[in-house]
Amino acid sequence: MAFFEQHIHDEPKTFLSKYVFSFDHKVIGKQFLWYGIAFLGIGGMMALLIRWTLAFPGEPFPVIGQFLFPHTNGVVPPDTYAMLFTLHGTIMIFYAITPILIGAFGNFCIPLMIGARDMVFPTLNMLSFWLAFVSAILLLASLFTPLGGAAGGWVSYPTLSTLIGSPGIGQTLWCLALFVLGVSSTMGAVNYIATIITLRAPGMGYFDMPLTIWGLWLTAILNAIFLPVLGAGLLLLTFDRVFGTTFFLAGAAATSGSGDPVLFQHVFWIFGHPEVYILILPAWGIVSDLLSFFARKPAFGAKATALAMTSITILSTLVYGHHMYTTQMSPLLTQSFMMLTMTISIPSSVFFANWLGTIWKGSIRFQTPMLFSLGVVFVFGLGGLTGLYLATVSTDLYLHDTYFVVGHFHYTMAASVLLGGFAATYFWFPKMFGRMMNETIGKIHFWITMLGLNGVFMGMMVVGWAGMHRRIYNPFVYEFLQKLIPINTFITVSAITMGAAQLFFVYNFIYSMVKGPKAEQNPWGVGTLEWTIPSPAPHYNFAEIPVVKCGPHELGNPNLKGDRDFQYQTEELVECNS
Amino acid sequence: MTTTVVKKTLSKNDQGQEIISSVGMIVALVSFAMLFATLMMGFAMFRLTAPVWPPAGMTKPSLLLPSLSTLCIFLSSVCYMKFEKNMADNRGLIATIVLGFIFMIIQTLLWHSLKTQGIYVSSGIFPSIIYAFTWIHAAHIVAALAMLIWLYRNVQKGVTPTTQRQAGNTGKFWHFLGIVWFIMFVTIFVI
Amino acid sequence: MNLYSLYMKFFVMSANASEMSLWERMKPPVDISTNGHLIDSLFILTTKLILFFFILVCIGLFGFSWLYRHKKHPKPLYTHGTSKKHVAIVAAIGALVFIVIDMQITGISNRDYMEVYNNWPKESEDIVRVEVLGQQWAWNFRYAGKDGIFNTEDDIVTLNDLRLPIGKKIVFQVSAKDVIHSFSLPNTRQKIDAMPGRIHKMWVELTKPGVYEVVCAQICGTFHYRMKATMTVYTQEDFNKWQDEMQQRTSFAMEKESADLYWGWKWIANN
Repeated sequence: MAFFEQHIHDEPKTFLSKYVFSFDHKVIGKQFLWYGIAFLGIGGMMALLIRWTLAFPGEPFPVIGQFLFPHTNGVVPPDTYAMLFTLHGTIMIFYAITPILIGAFGNFCIPLMIGARDMVFPTLNMLSFWLAFVSAILLLASLFTPLGGAAGGWVSYPTLSTLIGSPGIGQTLWCLALFVLGVSSTMGAVNYIATIITLRAPGMGYFDMPLTIWGLWLTAILNAIFLPVLGAGLLLLTFDRVFGTTFFLAGAAATSGSGDPVLFQHVFWIFGHPEVYILILPAWGIVSDLLSFFARKPAFGAKATALAMTSITILSTLVYGHHMYTTQMSPLLTQSFMMLTMTISIPSSVFFANWLGTIWKGSIRFQTPMLFSLGVVFVFGLGGLTGLYLATVSTDLYLHDTYFVVGHFHYTMAASVLLGGFAATYFWFPKMFGRMMNETIGKIHFWITMLGLNGVFMGMMVVGWAGMHRRIYNPFVYEFLQKLIPINTFITVSAITMGAAQLFFVYNFIYSMVKGPKAEQNPWGVGTLEWTIPSPAPHYNFAEIPVVKCGPHELGNPNLKGDRDFQYQTEELVECNS
Repeated sequence: MTTTVVKKTLSKNDQGQEIISSVGMIVALVSFAMLFATLMMGFAMFRLTAPVWPPAGMTKPSLLLPSLSTLCIFLSSVCYMKFEKNMADNRGLIATIVLGFIFMIIQTLLWHSLKTQGIYVSSGIFPSIIYAFTWIHAAHIVAALAMLIWLYRNVQKGVTPTTQRQAGNTGKFWHFLGIVWFIMFVTIFVI
Repeated sequence: MNLYSLYMKFFVMSANASEMSLWERMKPPVDISTNGHLIDSLFILTTKLILFFFILVCIGLFGFSWLYRHKKHPKPLYTHGTSKKHVAIVAAIGALVFIVIDMQITGISNRDYMEVYNNWPKESEDIVRVEVLGQQWAWNFRYAGKDGIFNTEDDIVTLNDLRLPIGKKIVFQVSAKDVIHSFSLPNTRQKIDAMPGRIHKMWVELTKPGVYEVVCAQICGTFHYRMKATMTVYTQEDFNKWQDEMQQRTSFAMEKESADLYWGWKWIANN
């Protein structure tokens, strides 16, 4: 519980200390949000370039192609294509999703929802953002080096990512950028963990925390434990590139060798598999909360959901080997990884049961955040279930490194997380900026996004099953893939649709921030702590640290008096014996 | 004045600060530990799959310098513990800092002597491991030394609950690096 | 005119557009191996099972959304889902998914993996041995030749040209020269990573003669997409004929001095 009371400082006056080098968790959260949205735009543009190339190989990219690739008359050249998919992956995972869900909503929500005035280590928090900023500069700088940016895939397997496969300085900068970002995220994680452990409002036990906080907390734990693993891998890779060590070098082309490229794959996936849960856990938490808020009904089995999230967090550290079935590990290892992977479906189905249980016999209001949350249930259902094909060794032998994998992980990591992020944005926008977002545009945004998104990722799974492998510039040099031209065109058309839908979001976001209707203190009628204070949240949040007396999901209690159908967490629980 | 007495006189706020900063430090140390654990895992993988170790054509570097640095870092930790017991007497802290610098000098000598023996960074997996791991560890030692010097400046201004907290956390980091070095010394140089 | 043909007409301007049905396009490449059907049938079984569960989720999702929308169902049921009944239902769903899908497909996959894909043909059997070396951006293939020993003068070495017989077990030993590649035969549903410094193995048995494609499935640099080889599958007589023909040619094609040609390794026996 709150171990000490944070003092109320005066709000900083100068522009620099208020908006740029701010210690305030809300400002840092917004900074991360802008950062993430900017990179989401860049990464999305890269995705469109990739899709264009796959559907219309050899055709110039319309409008901006001439400007981007003057030497080839607007056609994406193959080496640039490799950079595009590498940076698309890197940017989307590390520079878009992580900042938006963990950086922005982690920073914004954690102190507000647990009743604290700020993070425990505000300086560390600020440092975390500015390190992320440095990392972004390093990454973007890599694009302007002589041989271009990293082009070894976001997994950057050696020996392709060593000097043998990519001699340019771009790959080194990529490694450093990710290392710096890793340090930044670890700092954030240390901060989140310590904040949640020590600064919960008096009376708030772990199971009185909203599930959003559970998700963010578990994410932070995974981050603090596993980002250093990636850091170590990247350091060794950088040493290989810069100082000539031979950790990952082997084979005839290596002048000195006896290292082992597989080591990097182990290290990468020890980090990489928890990473996918790092990305999805906050979204799960947010969705679990929002479903309950908009169904006007307590979260079904909230404790079970929290425990399921915890068990997935633990399991996620034990299953990384399913990314490496084709590297011929010992059969015993392969079998055990397959078994362990399968057990993840038990806690996952507990989620689904609880999510559906939450909306069962609710009184559902289909406001935009709710639509996005229901969307997450839909796409995560698809994404999660298609993981089964990849968990079983024998089907993975065929599907590994095909577009099926791409479709699967986009459903789980891109679609679900993105929709979860949008839900969170629509939901907390009033508390962030003090204004409401437009509901109609929000709904249009949702439906077009859903349409485009399913077209893209379903299409990817179809072409994957038809044999199209990943990361190829022109699939149609293969005869057996030529029949896939129309499906690829369809995917691209869907991708453009999905991209266009985001314009609605950008318009809505910026317009509402300036001209949207003023938000009330509690526009959604929800009882968690952040809605007990004015919108936008004042500097140092709570004039008086609240005392928590009930859980976060007390909605629809029939014994409630008055015109509210929910209880604030600061109120004594009204008994209900039904 | 012993630590227990000081703790009793701490205000509630200071107690809270102490808990918070040690929670933060412990989480950070877990992160650092994972970094080194990954390196050790890599080492174990090479070590266990290699038919002979050190790899053919390699000899182990002499134990003299690494033993000296182990001794250094051990003594520095002992001095630091002395300092933590009685913070008014900062000779222990000075000794820690000096021993830390000596450790760094010995490490530099170690790298130099390896080079003169013809063991270069790029001459195979065993030198790669020796160099890279000691580099990474040394980088942390440099950071820790900066922390110690910063702590020294703070302590000079007077011992307060804040400096005690800082001393405790810096100490955790310093002892941690000592343990990491000991593990590296045993696994890489001795065995 | 249905939606599909309309789409084909307006969006897809390629030459081979409209003859094939959508269903036909979605099918994986033709299976030419004795064991590929195991993967196909497991895929289809998994599809059926997950469709069942996904439809259940959808019924819940859309059904509840429709039934319990605010207008129609203004008074929500106040429950935390902690009663014994509720917990039992949730636990049962978890167990059901695990038992109905996971145990089944894990069992089948494990059986296939241990008894087929990882069950190496005995060296004493009449098998075709091929060494495969990936490099940026081509596949090298090596047959032992008459003496049955690899890396000798009478080896048959080809570039991007894999020729195999039907009806015999074929064992590949796969490695790579520079970066990681992945030796993938979509028509047999199998692939294995080719890694520098490591020798991996894979075995197949083919059934249908014809010309197919070998794919590199792992990103290996700029021209990764061009790293394809042709796989020609012969009947056994044709294969022997081809081998004899190649044998005569190789005796003077393989020069002793050219070290590049001797990239092979000693065959690593399984048993």
